[in-house]
Amino acid sequence: MRLGWLRPARIAVALAMLGGLLVAFADFRGLVPVAFAHRLASFQFVPSWVALVTGPSLAVAGVIILLVTLLMGRVYCSAICPLGILQDVLARLARLVPGVPKRLRYSPGLPWLRHTVLWVGGAGILFGGAAFVLPLLDPYSLFGRIVSSLLRPLVTQANNALVGPANAAGIDALYRVNLPWAGLGALALPVATLLLIGILAVWRRRIYCNTLCPVGTLLGLIASRSIFRLKIDERACQKCGDCLDVCKAQCIDLRTRKIDFSRCVGCFNCLGICPQHGIGFRRPARARLPGVPAAAAKEPGLSRREFLSQGGPLIAATAGTSIWRQAMGPSRSERLGPVVAPPGASDIRRFLDRCTGCQLCISTCPTHVLRPAVLEYGLAGWMKPRLDYRQAFCNFDCNECGQVCPDGAIVRMPLADKQLARIGCAQLDLDRCVVKTKGNDCAACSEHCPTKAVYTVPYGNNLRLPRLDESICIGCGGCEYACPAQPVKAIAVAGLNRHERAEKRVEKKLQSPAANGDFPF
Amino acid sequence: MKNNRRRFLQTGLAVGATAAFCPVEALFGGGSPTNSAAAAATLTGPRPVLVALRDGSRSAMLDKGLAELGGIQAFVKPGQTVLIKPNIGWDAAPEKGANTHPEIIQRLTKICLDAGAKSVSVFDNCCDQWQRAYQNSGIEEAARSAGAHLVNGKDETLYREVAIPNGVKLKHAKVHSLVLDSDVFFNVPVLKNHEGSLMTCAMKNLMGVIWDRRFYHQTDLHQTIADFLTFKRPTLNIVDAYHPMMRNGPRGKSPDDCVEMRTMLMSTDPVLVDAASAKLMSYEINQVTHVRLAAEMKIGSSDLEQADVRRLKLA
Repeated sequence: MRLGWLRPARIAVALAMLGGLLVAFADFRGLVPVAFAHRLASFQFVPSWVALVTGPSLAVAGVIILLVTLLMGRVYCSAICPLGILQDVLARLARLVPGVPKRLRYSPGLPWLRHTVLWVGGAGILFGGAAFVLPLLDPYSLFGRIVSSLLRPLVTQANNALVGPANAAGIDALYRVNLPWAGLGALALPVATLLLIGILAVWRRRIYCNTLCPVGTLLGLIASRSIFRLKIDERACQKCGDCLDVCKAQCIDLRTRKIDFSRCVGCFNCLGICPQHGIGFRRPARARLPGVPAAAAKEPGLSRREFLSQGGPLIAATAGTSIWRQAMGPSRSERLGPVVAPPGASDIRRFLDRCTGCQLCISTCPTHVLRPAVLEYGLAGWMKPRLDYRQAFCNFDCNECGQVCPDGAIVRMPLADKQLARIGCAQLDLDRCVVKTKGNDCAACSEHCPTKAVYTVPYGNNLRLPRLDESICIGCGGCEYACPAQPVKAIAVAGLNRHERAEKRVEKKLQSPAANGDFPF
Repeated sequence: MKNNRRRFLQTGLAVGATAAFCPVEALFGGGSPTNSAAAAATLTGPRPVLVALRDGSRSAMLDKGLAELGGIQAFVKPGQTVLIKPNIGWDAAPEKGANTHPEIIQRLTKICLDAGAKSVSVFDNCCDQWQRAYQNSGIEEAARSAGAHLVNGKDETLYREVAIPNGVKLKHAKVHSLVLDSDVFFNVPVLKNHEGSLMTCAMKNLMGVIWDRRFYHQTDLHQTIADFLTFKRPTLNIVDAYHPMMRNGPRGKSPDDCVEMRTMLMSTDPVLVDAASAKLMSYEINQVTHVRLAAEMKIGSSDLEQADVRRLKLA
């Protein structure tokens, strides 16, 4: 069967996926429909599994990716994974530069490093460290942060530079957008990731995917046992080496005419390039050929025994770390509390365990109140969304973060429920309030309060003083954002480790005056 | 054309100079230098004019009120640039009464363009996220369909620092360039209760043309609201009191906070429309401190007894 179509199909899917995710994560104007962004992200391996394992979700993409891998190898890595596709793009651009070698030789890889990362990561997740480990390891989330926190502000700046000339030319469609940069603490990892994968991709193309990426390693383990594997037809192969020119994974060993299928990223480049049509999918032979020594028949890569013997001690070490962590007592957020997590996080610990920190919600949030945390939640919340009321507040009529989250970390809530979700509670300090300290009217807090938890009562000489009814406060931060008191605000929101449901207060409809009445003046 | 502009500027300067010596009379006519001289001529007089309309559709009341003031030609000359400043403070649907009703903005835009206006621009420095507020208020679509430009009110580079020498506490502010550069400035507030300033209408709506709203709250809300009017008075104030919000303002919780009043007010004097609006809300005029302050500073008149009130009932 001719499989030449696989490569163009892979390229088409990959470009669509990369383009879609780039646009969704770089969107600074809310142009990308939330449902579209959510759907694209839901195709990703780790978010899909997180959603399936931890929530009521029926996210099946992760299962499908496993089944496809079991059938024919790591198709995910070349067609779906945005970090992998990004590396292909970077490597391809680099090869346009004269002097960058086109051909990479076969390399036996670094199986020890590769499996160590997988074991440490896996053990970390199993023993309660998912909150910290997943954001560091999930390739989709690594990609998301690069685009959301690095590319998106740059695109915004470019947009802002174009606004003047565009408006002068009569084009109204562009407008300036204020998008603050994330803090250095939240930018450090995306910058490091981009540098690392950039350098590795130019140097050795997909070596990141075959040494550091645990998703690559996990899928590789399955691929090395998959039903159909790419194999070289030993009778056809003339060792011309054309396949080496296009292989990104350095997994074709021409000396032995073997392909290490656990490291093949499924780009299908070699399928069509072989002049002898000597590479194709074959079912592996069940039994060794008689007379062939075991060592020669052995597939490249680790044997099961080697694999386990290296993993065992690491599991033990990680388990030990985890026990030590538990013994150290509650995390920072449990002690101090006042970090405000997105509506739908429901419980901060639960939220942190599920969030992979892809920052799609941060890209989506129309008010930019969602900002990447540094250490406000503790280490487990690094780069995950928190509400920062200094420059914005949570829009009452918006529930987009829950709609877009592919992990189920931010639970999708109907708008009516979100409007009662108490993510924090305001604390009013009247001694700092300008109505008291300056004797002037203000009520910026009450003005912004969507539930009227902050209202005003007559005070002094024809003034109005704020009051707070905590039972209907949802912690949106409108009051804190608007409060003009300096240097410390008179009203501020303390986060809740466990989100609550605020009371709903319905007031009677006001009676309209009689029609056709007179003017009161 | 050139002659016209020169004459126009001369008239404006003359009015401005008059204003410096005897602000009350001159300002009743809307004596800001950029205002239409013809409008000033029509409306300048000993008694400020207030047009109060009832019981028609918003569009019908707008048409009728403008006709009463001499038609749109009294305010907009062919080739002039027009700014319409509604209240688009909130991400709220029209029925909640938190924003000026889109029907008025649509109608007014069309009237201005039909009168030969070179362009009509609409903006507000919103409280809620501005794209959502523009969109969900219905104003974006309504204004655009009538041919207006929606302009970003959240772009600091569009604001220019100006001195406000006659302000008591607001001595300078960053003001949106559309306010500074447009020939005609329609202030189109919606009437609402306000938990802080008691009422928000024409005067307070002008907070939405300056960049740093927080400075007002920090300094002295009522005084700064009044101070701004020493710098700039709108050409005409058109109050949407069709469905005013009587409680939980200025954001409101639901349409239940509003009552059906089917009223519209118009005047070149923002203090006068606000005084009348206070009465609509059943407040004492002086209870609304910025109205009282503005009257005391002789920025405008809050004396409804003295005003030439034209009461028009459409049904």
